[in-house]
Amino acid sequence: MLEELAELRRFHFLLGRLVVRELKVRYVNSVFGFVWSIVPPLLQVIVFTFLFRSVLHNPCRNYSAYVLCGLIPWTFLNSSTMDAGQSLIENYLVIRKVYIPREVIPLSVVIANFIHFALAWALYFTAFFGVARLIGIDLPVKPTLLYFPLITLVLVCFTVGLSLWVSALSMFYDDVRFILQTVFQLGFFIVPVVVPADLFRYTRLAQHHPGLYTLYMLNPITSVIDAYRKTILEPVPLGSFQMKGAPVELNWTLFAGAAGIAVFTLVGGYAYFNSRKWLFVERG
Amino acid sequence: MPGSSSQPNPDAVVVEHLSKTFHIRHMKSLKRAMFGRGTAPTTPLLALDDVSFRIPHGQTVAVVGRNGSGKSTLLGIIARVYKPSKGSAAVFGPDSRRPRIAPLLALGAGFHRDLTGLENIEFYGAILGLTPREINEKRPQILAFAELEEKADTVIRGWNDGARLRLGFAIAVHTDPDLLLVDEVLAVGDESFQNKCYRLIDELQAAGKTILFVTHDLTVAERTAGRVLWINAGKLVMDGSPAEVLTAYRQSSEEPAP
Repeated sequence: MLEELAELRRFHFLLGRLVVRELKVRYVNSVFGFVWSIVPPLLQVIVFTFLFRSVLHNPCRNYSAYVLCGLIPWTFLNSSTMDAGQSLIENYLVIRKVYIPREVIPLSVVIANFIHFALAWALYFTAFFGVARLIGIDLPVKPTLLYFPLITLVLVCFTVGLSLWVSALSMFYDDVRFILQTVFQLGFFIVPVVVPADLFRYTRLAQHHPGLYTLYMLNPITSVIDAYRKTILEPVPLGSFQMKGAPVELNWTLFAGAAGIAVFTLVGGYAYFNSRKWLFVERG
Repeated sequence: MPGSSSQPNPDAVVVEHLSKTFHIRHMKSLKRAMFGRGTAPTTPLLALDDVSFRIPHGQTVAVVGRNGSGKSTLLGIIARVYKPSKGSAAVFGPDSRRPRIAPLLALGAGFHRDLTGLENIEFYGAILGLTPREINEKRPQILAFAELEEKADTVIRGWNDGARLRLGFAIAVHTDPDLLLVDEVLAVGDESFQNKCYRLIDELQAAGKTILFVTHDLTVAERTAGRVLWINAGKLVMDGSPAEVLTAYRQSSEEPAP
């Protein structure tokens, strides 16, 4: 694996070009270009805020700040994995004809998505901790914000690992794409993207089987979203989301477990990718 | 591993007892992969069977043979796209540097249709291992050779096959390759461009570059190559001077000599 990493380093310039290509090509035929990476999530936030505030009468203030803590990492994971799954197939002609370390292709897709992810967070902080103050909404800046890079690192490990796994599998089985689509569609509601993870803690199922909650939180994406929310924002007020108990403190032990699984996904994904990469061009 | 060396080697390409078996798997879904293990039929296909040869630096070698004889597989293994099943294929540069292999991609396989010619030069150059500075230096030469200066900043989508081929060829030969691999793509360009390519190949030959090309056009093999390899059903049938090998090949395929 070390040999493979050295080879990857040798091709870092190609990786950079691939990222630029990925970013350029995505919006090249659209009139509004880069705006398309901002407008859909913005509309999502508006719809969800309306739904929870006005339809479900949720008393949680600044709901949009909470929901974005879920939407931003979720979108990064979802698009990276789906794009990476197609990336090798799209570049099949290249890898069939010329030698390049094949992992640069899914990696470039993840990096391009990471740039959108970073941009989204930059807008998030500008809006909620800058502009919001001007119009009288005061969100306190918490010292736990310092954990932000650590949480992001865990998310990146998980995303890269999953993307490598998915892209390698997609070369052999077309089913992977359909399975993933379904998993992400349902995952959106199971993983605490639009609601707090604490809600699951207070379900009757999790009350009777506390092990299920542990399992739930060991999913890296769940833990990452939960950790972002609890380190950036104040706990949600009592009674919001019709929660049957007080907001739960961030459990670092569970987060460490999820981080371990994320690292395992990365190492395992890279190993699997390397074990299969010579067979990509030989599929019958 | 192929493609790396610590000291200069007198040969540019060393192929030893090279065999390649493809396993054509007839399973495409997870269901069959999970529950059908062992029952999924795989057909082994012996694409190359114990092939050995050496190409000294500066030689131009043509590979001839019928369709499906294993020519492209051979080039693919030398380009490090496939891994050998048995034996080895190694490429060496004239000095101890890492050798630069430039495979000529069929019709610019590495191009993206939604990028401009210039953007594609940058990208394609990076695939072939050029540094940003080298790409900047070579860009005018590449565009001039491909006769695409006017089109350079337009999107490739609208280009014809010939223009794309010209750009691909121009980039590949301007990467200053130690070994140029050409898999019968030159037939697409128009005659004046083809002539230009052959002149350039002459120049590359004069500059001491090693060239390995696959062709069905025996007159091209006769004119350009100093040596011909004839491959049939994965086996190296004959290896020798163009006159000798091509005569035998023509006889076997009952093709009248021109």
